[in-house]
Amino acid sequence: MRPTRWLGWLIPEAERECVLGDLDEAYGGRRSLHCLADLLSVAWALRFNRPRPVRRIPLTPRRGDFIMTTLGNDIRYALRQLGRSPGFTLLSILTLALGIGATTAMFSVVNPILLEPLPYPNPDRIVALWEREKDGSEDNTGYLTFLDIQRMATSFDGIAVTSQWQPTLQGRGDPERLNGQRVTQRYFSILGVHPALGHDFTAEENIRGRHRVTILSHGLWQRRFGGDSAIVGRSVSFDGIQYTVVGVMPKSFESLLAPGAQLWAPLGYEPSLPFACRTCHHLREVARLNPGISPERARTELDLLFSRLVAEHPTEYSGVGMYVVPLRSQVTRDVRPALLAVLGAVGFVLLIACANVSGLLLGRALQREGEFAIRGALGAGRGRVVRQLLTESILLGLVGGAAGALLAWGGIRGLVALGPASLPRLSAISIDARALGFTAALSIATGLLFGLVPALATARPDLFTALRPGGRHSGQRSRRLARAVLVVGEVGLALMLLVGAGLLMRSLGKLLAVNPGFEPKGLLTMEVQTTGARYGDNAATWAFFDRAMDAVKAVPGVEIAGWTSQLPLGGDFDRYGVQIEGKLLANPEDAPSADRYAVSADYIRAMRIPLRRGRGFTAQDGPNAPRVALINETFARLSWAGEDPIGERVQAGGPETPWRTVVGIVGDVHHVGLDETQAPQLYIPESQWLGADGAMVLAARVRGDPLALIPTVRAALQAVDPSLPILRPATMEQVVSATTQPRRFAFVLFQAFALVALLLAAAGIYGVLAGSVTERTKELGIRAALGASRNGLVSLVVRQGLGLAAAGMAVGSAGAVVLSRFLQRLLFGIGPRDPITFAAVVAVLLGVALVACWAPAWRATRVSPLEALRGE
Amino acid sequence: MTTNLGEFEQLVLLTLLGLGQEAYGVTVRAQLERRGGRTVSLGTVYKTLLRLEAKGLVTAHFGEPTAERGGRRKKHYEVTAPGRRALQRSLSALRKLARGLDAAWEAP
Repeated sequence: MRPTRWLGWLIPEAERECVLGDLDEAYGGRRSLHCLADLLSVAWALRFNRPRPVRRIPLTPRRGDFIMTTLGNDIRYALRQLGRSPGFTLLSILTLALGIGATTAMFSVVNPILLEPLPYPNPDRIVALWEREKDGSEDNTGYLTFLDIQRMATSFDGIAVTSQWQPTLQGRGDPERLNGQRVTQRYFSILGVHPALGHDFTAEENIRGRHRVTILSHGLWQRRFGGDSAIVGRSVSFDGIQYTVVGVMPKSFESLLAPGAQLWAPLGYEPSLPFACRTCHHLREVARLNPGISPERARTELDLLFSRLVAEHPTEYSGVGMYVVPLRSQVTRDVRPALLAVLGAVGFVLLIACANVSGLLLGRALQREGEFAIRGALGAGRGRVVRQLLTESILLGLVGGAAGALLAWGGIRGLVALGPASLPRLSAISIDARALGFTAALSIATGLLFGLVPALATARPDLFTALRPGGRHSGQRSRRLARAVLVVGEVGLALMLLVGAGLLMRSLGKLLAVNPGFEPKGLLTMEVQTTGARYGDNAATWAFFDRAMDAVKAVPGVEIAGWTSQLPLGGDFDRYGVQIEGKLLANPEDAPSADRYAVSADYIRAMRIPLRRGRGFTAQDGPNAPRVALINETFARLSWAGEDPIGERVQAGGPETPWRTVVGIVGDVHHVGLDETQAPQLYIPESQWLGADGAMVLAARVRGDPLALIPTVRAALQAVDPSLPILRPATMEQVVSATTQPRRFAFVLFQAFALVALLLAAAGIYGVLAGSVTERTKELGIRAALGASRNGLVSLVVRQGLGLAAAGMAVGSAGAVVLSRFLQRLLFGIGPRDPITFAAVVAVLLGVALVACWAPAWRATRVSPLEALRGE
Repeated sequence: MTTNLGEFEQLVLLTLLGLGQEAYGVTVRAQLERRGGRTVSLGTVYKTLLRLEAKGLVTAHFGEPTAERGGRRKKHYEVTAPGRRALQRSLSALRKLARGLDAAWEAP
């Protein structure tokens, strides 16, 4: 503790040097409580208890001096005023903190995703390329197509293709499957980044046979290799193959195109490879545009080149052109609609908060009418009073903003946790200087916004009425009108938010009501990946999965279980064009593509996918038995309209592959998402596929809670081969629920915002009515004296409140009709003008408005005529 | 303009005169403690020095930075002519009033 070092700022600037010097001299820089006490005594004496010599007041104030002292006075006075009514101040600050905090938190989420430049040099020139299918959908590209485009296109500084790579790291601790990418050699230079250690992939390293090199991410390097600075040149084993580490990426590198990628290796393809073909659509393409070339111009060129390729190889293309998608749209398109909708919603909450505090200020202005009248009588101009009031409201805004920043800081973790998994740049989301600057600006703007109306409505009271005894509540029309307008606005905004929340809730409900085609309850799933030389041939892999299945079935609680190569809604898919015997298409690329599942005998039964016709698979459908297949209902309907597919033969995966006999039809299963339309699906016994699938997903139906059984099943699998990684253990219900995540994200936030809006709007209605009852005490008293019934008085007040609410709802409904279409992409099963939602929201708001009217109405009936008229 | 001095102001002025060139924050306090038998906080000393300076009874100037002060300068205080006059006036008033009171001093 060296107080002079870190508490020096407490001493006023002018004396700081000599005081701190004195302390150092007296205590020799030692830590000492006495030293601290001395420092504090000086700070106290000079800063707060400062001797005030008599000041001569200049007759004509200097200009700057005048402004600063009045500002100082305004602030001091404002603080006193706010301190005098702590209830009002606290309520306002809380309301503002809520509005500003929520807005700041959302801004922090949106900023790095939609606003900040992406973390690469000249990010505007980075684009993703896609093949464009006839129906307008996007498709990956094949290696030969890439080579042709790369050779011919002039719009680009460089083009690279990438494929997923999920190697298993072995030999150091637990086997771990990593997420990586195989890339062609220009990949990093197209992004504009370079390894921090070692070097980028060379052309040489992209040649097949020399491509066993790897570049590590900073995170992986730190985590698994202890940040070893001599890592470059060392050998690492992935899937039993030795790779040489040639580089480590910098810590700042964000892999936006493959979020979560931990390492990279050269693609190492050559044109003769079977998976390098034009129809092998599994490569993603990224490019850097030449300076001055727009994405549109690049697309025009690519379309032309692509049509030339189609003309040269008519049987190898189904696409009609290409897409050029700027990097930002590429990485944000999944989350953009949800983020914008939520950002809009949070803006509404802020507006409502402003309207609410405005209303509070107007109510307070009533009590301060006398004060302003006196100021006016003493010669204060309107501008002077407005300035005083604005100082107060900006001060409120700033304090609210500071509290809001704290709130945002806490809330942002929740937001990130709630955010859809596809939210890019998660690590960049934080409350940084930019967000705080935004908050500060927002606070001041908010202060002005909610302060201006009350300030203008208050600043020039009618001096005569206001100062007359008993005439305090002169009830200015402009002020009453202002409050009414605020409440109407609040109710309108609240209605719009409620409609948004309602639409999302109904969509989510409809989505979850969609039958996925199997029974998720009671299912547990996990993925097992075979890796290494032991699983080099098909027989070994199949044998392993058979043994592993026996182990799982032996676990108590497991009723039935099966393997599948792809889990529905699990995020992976594998599609093949399927030709039908007797209906062969000239261009095999035009054949309908079907989701392919290589499954074990019990998979269909374990998932409870209904068998519509024919038979399911049995243990007899082995590698040497006749080749069989199951198709789904959609496939049967699309390709065999009016005919019987059972007994027909199909061919999946190219003209050289074997024919398979359709033996049964099963129900449709949602594979990509509950909101996706059905595609053809094809099931094949695992050991009858072209080769063994190295990774299979377990689907086990269990008694009781699947979550509780995960460790046991996992252990059973590990007992068969402890060197294999087991991935993504989850219940099937979790898997299904994860697919609704973007909608859930928007919904939960809308719900929270709508709730806040509803409360604030109710408070607003209550405030106006309560104020109005106070103002009209005399009138109500006279009415009571003249014989108005209790019911009459109640209905007088309630009518006023409901009138405001109705006006607000009319405005809000009109707004909701216009704005709800921005939610379109998040809706499912209902339109943006869903009448049920609108009706329900109006009913809810009416109910809330009635509740808010009740207390003021009750008070109106308690007005005693005697009391009210005593003042006269 | 005549200035009346408070008791502590008198003590500080006397201390300053006694210390001469070596009068600044901590030495003033040390001297007050050693010779005057008064334990005071550094804050009080500074506050008084600043007040005396504002009244024009003392002036201040910065000295050279020294290592033992962490490279910071001293602020030396010196009694001005008006300061001396004010002090003399106060002390002579005290002396006159105290004259002949020795007997009363001894009284229980």
